[in-house]
Amino acid sequence: MISYEFLTTQKIEEALNYLNKFSKVCILAGGTDLLVNLYKESPRLSDFDYLLDITNIPELKITNLINKFIEIGPLVTHSRLINELLIKNNFPVLVEAANTIGSTQIRNRGTIGGNIVNASPAADLLPPLIALRAKVELTSGEGKRVLSLEEFLAGPYKTKIQANELLTKIKIPLLGDNYYTDFQKIGRRKALSIARLSLALVTKIDKEGIFQDTRVVPGSATPYPQSLPETEKAINGKSVFNIDLEEIGKITSKEMVSITGERWSTPYKKPTIAVLIKRALKKIIKEAKTNE
Amino acid sequence: MNKTTVTFIVNGKEVTLKVGPKERLLDTLREQLKLTGTKEGCSVGECGACTVILDGKAVSSCLILAGQIGGSEVLTIEGLETDGKLDPLQQAFVDHQAVQCGFCTPGMLMSAKALLIHSPHPSRKEIKTALEGNLCRCTGYEQIIEAIESVVNK
Repeated sequence: MISYEFLTTQKIEEALNYLNKFSKVCILAGGTDLLVNLYKESPRLSDFDYLLDITNIPELKITNLINKFIEIGPLVTHSRLINELLIKNNFPVLVEAANTIGSTQIRNRGTIGGNIVNASPAADLLPPLIALRAKVELTSGEGKRVLSLEEFLAGPYKTKIQANELLTKIKIPLLGDNYYTDFQKIGRRKALSIARLSLALVTKIDKEGIFQDTRVVPGSATPYPQSLPETEKAINGKSVFNIDLEEIGKITSKEMVSITGERWSTPYKKPTIAVLIKRALKKIIKEAKTNE
Repeated sequence: MNKTTVTFIVNGKEVTLKVGPKERLLDTLREQLKLTGTKEGCSVGECGACTVILDGKAVSSCLILAGQIGGSEVLTIEGLETDGKLDPLQQAFVDHQAVQCGFCTPGMLMSAKALLIHSPHPSRKEIKTALEGNLCRCTGYEQIIEAIESVVNK
């Protein structure tokens, strides 16, 4: 039986004090993963004595544009990501991904910070956030530190957050001109589905139609979301007019398998990941050609 | 196991209650407040039977601890009718025979109500999105969507 003391607060300082004072504290944000795990008494739950509810800390709900970075509070819900103009106008790829999460009820409650710290291999926001080069700000009683999101993730359901730290901000650099983005997801069905495979693509296409600064991050493909540098390298320098999509698809499949090894799901995922990168590239190429 | 005291508004009335660390909003509504119109289905946020409106938004009350909602406003199925008169949505469900076994109905109605609070004239697609977290195992979705549309088009 799981047993714990319930703590709640409206202030970051108080939350940090609790984290300092008590050991074995589990942090509760939107609860859309945690309460399921509590109900099922899931072995994925680490042993904890205190449950610290942070949902009523207003400071963690703010979105802002500061010095060419958009800062998002970790308690911003998926529904808010979808509806905030600041996000819609700058990072439509994040809105596309947020739209595919769970159901209306889940999106109204689940948070971007929870999606990050829970670090599920199938987390829908992680591929676009990594592709956008997001950074996370961690705060403890001793101060703040900032890590790139890719560096922050340490394994399936594992991150580098310390027991005395709280995720206090997500910072995403604005994309410059001529950037294009896309998010693809395949689930077993449309509503309430967990990604069987997803893929975020962010790339720049210059005036000559050449791909640059390409970022490709699949979800549910590798033990935890990470970029595919070989695929990115293969796309960079190619032209929207004659890029060989079949070849790129093959490189992506090969790179995925080189990370995971052959697994029970490989016969399905190997060709499917190729389809997703081709779909994403086709969509972006079409868009770029219309903008010409 | 510590109990915390929370004060929140349910169907327009302020309540102050002692709640346990594991007590979900769903438990508080059904066990302490005897508002049994809200149903417990899957208990993991997938079926929508326990949907209530929290601060204007549809949420699964099985995924929220009661200790989290101090200062909030909750609307349940019992709060839909006014002065003994059914909410137009409830009446439309009756008129369109959108109720078969009835277990999913409170959740469906609360999801629909939350939608109409924010967007009084939603499209059919928006209605479907609002209901995507609500399962009806009698599969009466057509009648349910028609009932909601009839209120929208009034």
